[in-house]
Amino acid sequence: MSSALFDTVFKELEARNDDIRPSDILLFSEPLRTALNTVIHLSRFNLTEFAANLPFTREEARELASLLVKRNLFELFVADQQEPVYMARLSAMTRPATRPPSDLWKKID
Amino acid sequence: MSKIISIHSFRGGTGKSNTTANIAALLAKDGARVCVVDTDINSPGIHVLFNLDDSEMVHSLNDYLWQKCTIEEAAHDVTSRVGGDIKGQILLIPSSIKPGEIARILRDGYDVGLLNDGFRDVVDKLKLDYLLIDTHPGLNDETLLSIAISNILVVILRPDSQDYQGTAVTVDVAKKLDVPNMIMLVNKTPSAFDFDDVRERVEQTYDVKVGAVLPHADEMMTLASSGIFAIQFPDHPITKGLQKLVEFIKK
Repeated sequence: MSSALFDTVFKELEARNDDIRPSDILLFSEPLRTALNTVIHLSRFNLTEFAANLPFTREEARELASLLVKRNLFELFVADQQEPVYMARLSAMTRPATRPPSDLWKKID
Repeated sequence: MSKIISIHSFRGGTGKSNTTANIAALLAKDGARVCVVDTDINSPGIHVLFNLDDSEMVHSLNDYLWQKCTIEEAAHDVTSRVGGDIKGQILLIPSSIKPGEIARILRDGYDVGLLNDGFRDVVDKLKLDYLLIDTHPGLNDETLLSIAISNILVVILRPDSQDYQGTAVTVDVAKKLDVPNMIMLVNKTPSAFDFDDVRERVEQTYDVKVGAVLPHADEMMTLASSGIFAIQFPDHPITKGLQKLVEFIKK
Protein backbone atom coordinates (compact mmCIF):
# COMPACT_ATOMS: atom_id res chain seq x y z
CA MET A 1 0.00 0.00 0.00
CA SER A 2 1.47 3.34 -1.00
CA SER A 3 2.12 6.09 1.52
CA ALA A 4 -0.03 9.19 1.80
CA LEU A 5 2.98 11.32 0.82
CA PHE A 6 3.54 9.29 -2.33
CA ASP A 7 -0.14 9.61 -3.23
CA THR A 8 0.03 13.38 -2.79
CA VAL A 9 3.16 13.72 -4.92
CA PHE A 10 1.80 11.40 -7.60
CA LYS A 11 -1.50 13.26 -7.79
CA GLU A 12 0.34 16.60 -7.98
CA LEU A 13 2.18 15.37 -11.06
CA GLU A 14 -0.78 13.53 -12.56
CA ALA A 15 -2.90 16.69 -12.38
CA ARG A 16 -0.60 18.37 -14.89
CA ASN A 17 -1.50 18.11 -18.56
CA ASP A 18 1.44 20.07 -19.96
CA ASP A 19 5.12 19.29 -20.31
CA ILE A 20 7.14 20.38 -17.29
CA ARG A 21 8.92 23.67 -17.87
CA PRO A 22 11.70 25.17 -15.75
CA SER A 23 9.36 27.51 -13.87
CA ASP A 24 7.19 24.57 -12.81
CA ILE A 25 10.02 23.06 -10.76
CA LEU A 26 9.74 25.98 -8.35
CA LEU A 27 6.08 25.26 -7.74
CA PHE A 28 6.44 21.60 -6.84
CA SER A 29 6.30 20.73 -3.17
CA GLU A 30 8.91 18.69 -1.35
CA PRO A 31 10.23 16.05 -1.56
CA LEU A 32 9.60 16.12 -5.31
CA ARG A 33 11.31 19.46 -5.95
CA THR A 34 14.61 18.48 -4.35
CA ALA A 35 14.56 15.09 -6.06
CA LEU A 36 14.00 16.73 -9.44
CA ASN A 37 16.69 19.35 -8.81
CA THR A 38 19.16 16.57 -8.02
CA VAL A 39 18.49 14.50 -11.12
CA ILE A 40 18.40 17.55 -13.38
CA HIS A 41 21.94 18.26 -12.22
CA LEU A 42 22.92 14.61 -12.75
CA SER A 43 21.34 14.73 -16.20
CA ARG A 44 21.72 10.97 -16.66
CA PHE A 45 20.82 8.69 -13.73
CA ASN A 46 19.40 5.29 -12.94
CA LEU A 47 16.35 4.32 -10.93
CA THR A 48 18.47 3.63 -7.86
CA GLU A 49 19.86 7.19 -7.94
CA PHE A 50 16.38 8.66 -8.38
CA ALA A 51 14.90 6.54 -5.59
CA ALA A 52 17.76 7.48 -3.25
CA ASN A 53 16.51 11.07 -3.29
CA LEU A 54 12.95 10.21 -2.39
CA PRO A 55 11.34 8.82 0.79
CA PHE A 56 9.52 6.22 -1.30
CA THR A 57 9.96 2.57 -2.19
CA ARG A 58 11.82 1.65 -5.35
CA GLU A 59 8.57 0.72 -7.08
CA GLU A 60 6.97 4.02 -6.10
CA ALA A 61 10.01 5.82 -7.52
CA ARG A 62 9.62 3.80 -10.72
CA GLU A 63 5.96 4.84 -10.98
CA LEU A 64 6.93 8.49 -10.53
CA ALA A 65 9.66 8.16 -13.14
CA SER A 66 7.18 6.65 -15.63
CA LEU A 67 4.84 9.55 -15.07
CA LEU A 68 7.70 12.02 -15.54
CA VAL A 69 8.55 10.29 -18.82
CA LYS A 70 4.93 10.94 -19.91
CA ARG A 71 5.33 14.58 -18.88
CA ASN A 72 8.47 14.82 -20.98
CA LEU A 73 10.78 15.75 -18.10
CA PHE A 74 12.48 12.35 -18.20
CA GLU A 75 13.50 10.32 -21.21
CA LEU A 76 14.01 6.60 -20.85
CA PHE A 77 17.63 6.25 -21.94
CA VAL A 78 18.17 2.56 -21.19
CA ALA A 79 15.03 0.44 -20.93
CA ASP A 80 16.45 -2.13 -18.54
CA GLN A 81 13.76 -3.70 -16.38
CA GLN A 82 16.11 -4.12 -13.41
CA GLU A 83 17.88 -0.78 -13.58
CA PRO A 84 16.41 1.64 -16.12
CA VAL A 85 18.43 4.74 -16.93
CA TYR A 86 16.81 8.09 -17.53
CA MET A 87 17.83 11.51 -18.77
CA ALA A 88 16.29 14.63 -17.26
CA ARG A 89 15.50 17.33 -19.77
CA LEU A 90 13.60 20.50 -18.97
CA SER A 91 11.35 21.04 -21.94
CA ALA A 92 8.21 22.83 -23.13
CA MET A 93 7.79 25.74 -25.50
CA THR A 94 8.45 29.22 -24.26
CA ARG A 95 5.34 31.33 -24.09
CA PRO A 96 5.20 33.22 -27.37
CA ALA A 97 4.66 36.96 -27.21
CA THR A 98 1.07 38.05 -27.64
CA ARG A 99 0.28 39.65 -30.93
CA PRO A 100 0.58 43.43 -30.62
CA PRO A 101 -2.07 45.56 -32.25
CA SER A 102 -1.39 47.11 -35.65
CA ASP A 103 0.24 43.92 -36.93
CA LEU A 104 3.65 45.10 -35.79
CA TRP A 105 5.41 41.80 -36.39
CA LYS A 106 5.01 42.09 -40.16
CA LYS A 107 6.73 45.46 -40.14
CA ILE A 108 9.71 43.98 -38.30
CA ASP A 109 10.02 40.80 -40.41
CA MET B 1 35.28 17.85 -15.13
CA SER B 2 33.44 20.54 -17.15
CA LYS B 3 31.61 23.30 -15.32
CA ILE B 4 28.50 25.19 -16.39
CA ILE B 5 28.39 28.72 -14.98
CA SER B 6 25.44 31.09 -15.28
CA ILE B 7 25.94 34.80 -14.86
CA HIS B 8 22.66 36.38 -13.84
CA SER B 9 21.06 39.44 -12.32
CA PHE B 10 17.49 40.31 -11.52
CA ARG B 11 17.80 43.76 -13.06
CA GLY B 12 19.32 44.92 -16.33
CA GLY B 13 22.43 47.03 -16.63
CA THR B 14 24.34 45.36 -13.81
CA GLY B 15 27.23 44.29 -16.06
CA LYS B 16 26.42 40.64 -16.79
CA SER B 17 27.77 40.56 -20.34
CA ASN B 18 30.93 42.44 -19.43
CA THR B 19 31.49 40.18 -16.44
CA THR B 20 30.87 37.05 -18.54
CA ALA B 21 33.28 38.16 -21.25
CA ASN B 22 35.95 39.07 -18.72
CA ILE B 23 35.61 35.80 -16.80
CA ALA B 24 35.88 33.91 -20.09
CA ALA B 25 39.06 35.79 -21.02
CA LEU B 26 40.67 35.27 -17.61
CA LEU B 27 39.88 31.53 -17.64
CA ALA B 28 41.19 31.15 -21.20
CA LYS B 29 44.30 33.18 -20.34
CA ASP B 30 45.19 30.39 -17.91
CA GLY B 31 44.75 27.76 -20.61
CA ALA B 32 41.10 26.77 -20.30
CA ARG B 33 38.79 25.91 -23.20
CA VAL B 34 35.79 28.18 -22.66
CA CYS B 35 32.53 28.68 -24.52
CA VAL B 36 30.17 31.60 -23.93
CA VAL B 37 26.50 31.35 -24.92
CA ASP B 38 24.45 34.51 -25.28
CA THR B 39 20.98 33.42 -24.17
CA ASP B 40 19.74 37.02 -24.03
CA ILE B 41 17.77 36.46 -27.21
CA ASN B 42 15.64 39.57 -26.62
CA SER B 43 18.64 41.89 -26.44
CA PRO B 44 21.87 40.20 -27.52
CA GLY B 45 25.10 42.09 -27.07
CA ILE B 46 28.08 40.11 -25.79
CA HIS B 47 29.34 39.55 -29.33
CA VAL B 48 30.30 43.25 -29.37
CA LEU B 49 32.75 42.70 -26.52
CA PHE B 50 34.41 39.94 -28.54
CA ASN B 51 34.54 42.14 -31.67
CA LEU B 52 32.37 39.69 -33.60
CA ASP B 53 30.37 41.61 -36.15
CA ASP B 54 26.87 40.56 -37.16
CA SER B 55 28.08 40.05 -40.74
CA GLU B 56 30.62 37.51 -39.50
CA MET B 57 28.08 35.34 -37.67
CA VAL B 58 27.85 32.17 -39.74
CA HIS B 59 25.20 30.74 -37.44
CA SER B 60 23.59 31.96 -34.22
CA LEU B 61 21.81 30.40 -31.26
CA ASN B 62 18.59 31.28 -33.09
CA ASP B 63 19.62 29.02 -35.99
CA TYR B 64 20.25 26.17 -33.58
CA LEU B 65 16.84 26.66 -31.90
CA TRP B 66 15.23 26.59 -35.35
CA GLN B 67 17.22 23.39 -35.98
CA LYS B 68 19.04 24.87 -38.95
CA CYS B 69 22.42 23.88 -37.50
CA THR B 70 24.02 21.90 -34.69
CA ILE B 71 25.01 23.74 -31.54
CA GLU B 72 28.71 23.36 -32.29
CA GLU B 73 28.21 24.87 -35.77
CA ALA B 74 26.95 28.03 -34.04
CA ALA B 75 30.21 28.38 -32.05
CA HIS B 76 32.66 31.01 -33.32
CA ASP B 77 36.31 31.00 -32.25
CA VAL B 78 36.92 34.52 -30.93
CA THR B 79 40.25 33.85 -29.17
CA SER B 80 42.31 35.98 -31.53
CA ARG B 81 39.88 38.91 -31.28
CA VAL B 82 40.40 39.39 -27.55
CA GLY B 83 44.07 40.36 -27.54
CA GLY B 84 46.46 39.49 -24.75
CA ASP B 85 48.32 36.24 -24.26
CA ILE B 86 45.56 33.63 -24.29
CA LYS B 87 46.88 30.10 -23.74
CA GLY B 88 43.45 28.47 -24.03
CA GLN B 89 40.50 29.09 -26.33
CA ILE B 90 37.33 31.19 -26.29
CA LEU B 91 34.31 30.18 -28.32
CA LEU B 92 31.15 32.26 -28.60
CA ILE B 93 27.63 31.15 -29.51
CA PRO B 94 25.96 34.49 -30.25
CA SER B 95 22.29 35.33 -30.47
CA SER B 96 21.13 36.99 -33.65
CA ILE B 97 21.02 40.78 -33.75
CA LYS B 98 18.81 40.85 -36.86
CA PRO B 99 15.44 42.47 -35.95
CA GLY B 100 13.44 39.98 -38.02
CA GLU B 101 15.09 37.01 -36.33
CA ILE B 102 14.58 38.45 -32.86
CA ALA B 103 10.94 39.14 -33.70
CA ARG B 104 10.44 35.66 -35.07
CA ILE B 105 11.75 33.93 -32.00
CA LEU B 106 9.69 36.18 -29.71
CA ARG B 107 6.58 35.65 -31.78
CA ASP B 108 6.85 31.89 -32.22
CA GLY B 109 8.65 30.88 -29.05
CA TYR B 110 10.97 27.87 -29.01
CA ASP B 111 11.45 24.59 -27.20
CA VAL B 112 13.41 25.16 -24.00
CA GLY B 113 14.36 21.50 -24.21
CA LEU B 114 16.51 22.30 -27.24
CA LEU B 115 18.39 24.88 -25.19
CA ASN B 116 18.82 22.24 -22.48
CA ASP B 117 20.15 19.74 -25.04
CA GLY B 118 22.38 22.38 -26.60
CA PHE B 119 24.12 23.22 -23.34
CA ARG B 120 24.89 19.56 -22.69
CA ASP B 121 25.92 18.80 -26.27
CA VAL B 122 28.25 21.75 -26.61
CA VAL B 123 30.14 20.80 -23.43
CA ASP B 124 30.64 17.24 -24.72
CA LYS B 125 31.24 17.91 -28.40
CA LEU B 126 33.59 20.86 -27.95
CA LYS B 127 35.32 19.27 -24.94
CA LEU B 128 34.91 22.38 -22.88
CA ASP B 129 36.39 23.12 -19.50
CA TYR B 130 33.79 25.83 -18.90
CA LEU B 131 30.47 26.84 -20.41
CA LEU B 132 29.49 30.38 -19.46
CA ILE B 133 25.84 31.32 -19.92
CA ASP B 134 25.14 35.03 -20.30
CA THR B 135 21.50 35.35 -19.30
CA HIS B 136 18.66 37.77 -19.82
CA PRO B 137 17.92 39.77 -16.65
CA GLY B 138 15.05 38.70 -14.44
CA LEU B 139 13.27 35.41 -14.16
CA ASN B 140 11.80 33.54 -17.11
CA ASP B 141 11.93 29.94 -18.29
CA GLU B 142 15.26 30.43 -20.07
CA THR B 143 16.99 31.96 -17.06
CA LEU B 144 15.46 29.36 -14.77
CA LEU B 145 16.74 26.63 -17.06
CA SER B 146 20.25 28.09 -16.98
CA ILE B 147 20.17 28.35 -13.20
CA ALA B 148 18.74 24.84 -12.82
CA ILE B 149 21.52 23.13 -14.77
CA SER B 150 24.46 25.26 -13.63
CA ASN B 151 27.24 24.09 -11.33
CA ILE B 152 27.94 27.70 -10.34
CA LEU B 153 25.66 30.74 -10.35
CA VAL B 154 27.20 34.20 -10.29
CA VAL B 155 24.61 36.74 -9.15
CA ILE B 156 25.43 40.33 -9.97
CA LEU B 157 23.92 43.36 -8.34
CA ARG B 158 24.68 47.03 -7.92
CA PRO B 159 24.54 48.66 -4.48
CA ASP B 160 21.09 50.04 -5.29
CA SER B 161 17.75 49.56 -3.54
CA GLN B 162 15.99 48.14 -6.60
CA ASP B 163 18.80 45.66 -7.11
CA TYR B 164 18.83 44.66 -3.44
CA GLN B 165 15.12 43.84 -3.47
CA GLY B 166 15.14 42.03 -6.79
CA THR B 167 18.25 40.05 -5.93
CA ALA B 168 16.46 38.59 -2.91
CA VAL B 169 14.04 36.96 -5.36
CA THR B 170 16.88 35.56 -7.47
CA VAL B 171 18.72 34.16 -4.47
CA ASP B 172 15.53 32.59 -3.13
CA VAL B 173 14.84 30.94 -6.47
CA ALA B 174 18.42 29.71 -6.80
CA LYS B 175 18.24 28.13 -3.34
CA LYS B 176 14.95 26.44 -4.29
CA LEU B 177 16.68 25.06 -7.39
CA ASP B 178 19.52 23.71 -5.20
CA VAL B 179 22.27 25.39 -7.21
CA PRO B 180 25.46 23.66 -5.97
CA ASN B 181 27.52 26.87 -5.75
CA MET B 182 26.40 30.47 -5.68
CA ILE B 183 28.55 33.58 -5.42
CA MET B 184 27.70 37.25 -5.61
CA LEU B 185 29.38 40.11 -7.36
CA VAL B 186 28.61 43.68 -6.34
CA ASN B 187 29.34 45.84 -9.35
CA LYS B 188 29.58 49.56 -10.13
CA THR B 189 30.16 50.54 -6.51
CA PRO B 190 30.71 54.28 -5.99
CA SER B 191 34.07 55.21 -4.46
CA ALA B 192 32.24 57.00 -1.64
CA PHE B 193 30.97 53.65 -0.30
CA ASP B 194 32.83 51.55 2.23
CA PHE B 195 33.55 48.40 0.20
CA ASP B 196 34.01 46.18 3.28
CA ASP B 197 30.70 47.41 4.62
CA VAL B 198 28.97 46.67 1.31
CA ARG B 199 30.41 43.16 1.27
CA GLU B 200 29.34 42.48 4.85
CA ARG B 201 25.86 43.86 4.27
CA VAL B 202 25.29 41.77 1.15
CA GLU B 203 26.66 38.58 2.72
CA GLN B 204 24.46 39.01 5.78
CA THR B 205 21.37 39.90 3.78
CA TYR B 206 21.52 36.95 1.38
CA ASP B 207 23.67 34.48 3.31
CA VAL B 208 25.78 34.02 0.17
CA LYS B 209 29.50 34.71 -0.21
CA VAL B 210 30.52 37.85 -2.09
CA GLY B 211 33.31 37.10 -4.55
CA ALA B 212 34.20 40.73 -5.11
CA VAL B 213 32.97 44.29 -4.74
CA LEU B 214 33.96 46.08 -7.93
CA PRO B 215 34.29 49.84 -8.20
CA HIS B 216 32.48 52.02 -10.66
CA ALA B 217 35.25 53.10 -13.01
CA ASP B 218 35.58 55.71 -15.73
CA GLU B 219 37.98 53.38 -17.56
CA MET B 220 35.18 50.82 -17.94
CA MET B 221 32.75 53.48 -19.17
CA THR B 222 35.33 54.86 -21.59
CA LEU B 223 36.13 51.41 -22.95
CA ALA B 224 32.38 51.23 -23.66
CA SER B 225 32.28 47.49 -24.43
CA SER B 226 34.80 47.87 -27.25
CA GLY B 227 36.99 45.17 -25.74
CA ILE B 228 37.75 42.99 -22.74
CA PHE B 229 38.59 45.15 -19.72
CA ALA B 230 40.74 42.55 -17.94
CA ILE B 231 42.99 42.22 -21.00
CA GLN B 232 43.32 45.97 -21.52
CA PHE B 233 43.69 46.87 -17.83
CA PRO B 234 45.38 43.84 -16.21
CA ASP B 235 46.37 45.69 -13.03
CA HIS B 236 43.11 47.56 -12.42
CA PRO B 237 41.18 46.88 -9.17
CA ILE B 238 38.25 45.65 -11.29
CA THR B 239 40.50 43.05 -12.90
CA LYS B 240 41.89 42.03 -9.50
CA GLY B 241 38.34 41.55 -8.24
CA LEU B 242 37.38 39.49 -11.29
CA GLN B 243 40.47 37.33 -10.78
CA LYS B 244 39.23 36.50 -7.28
CA LEU B 245 35.94 35.42 -8.80
CA VAL B 246 37.79 33.27 -11.33
CA GLU B 247 39.76 31.60 -8.51
CA PHE B 248 36.45 30.63 -6.90
CA ILE B 249 35.17 29.26 -10.20
CA LYS B 250 38.32 27.20 -10.73
CA LYS B 251 38.14 25.47 -7.32
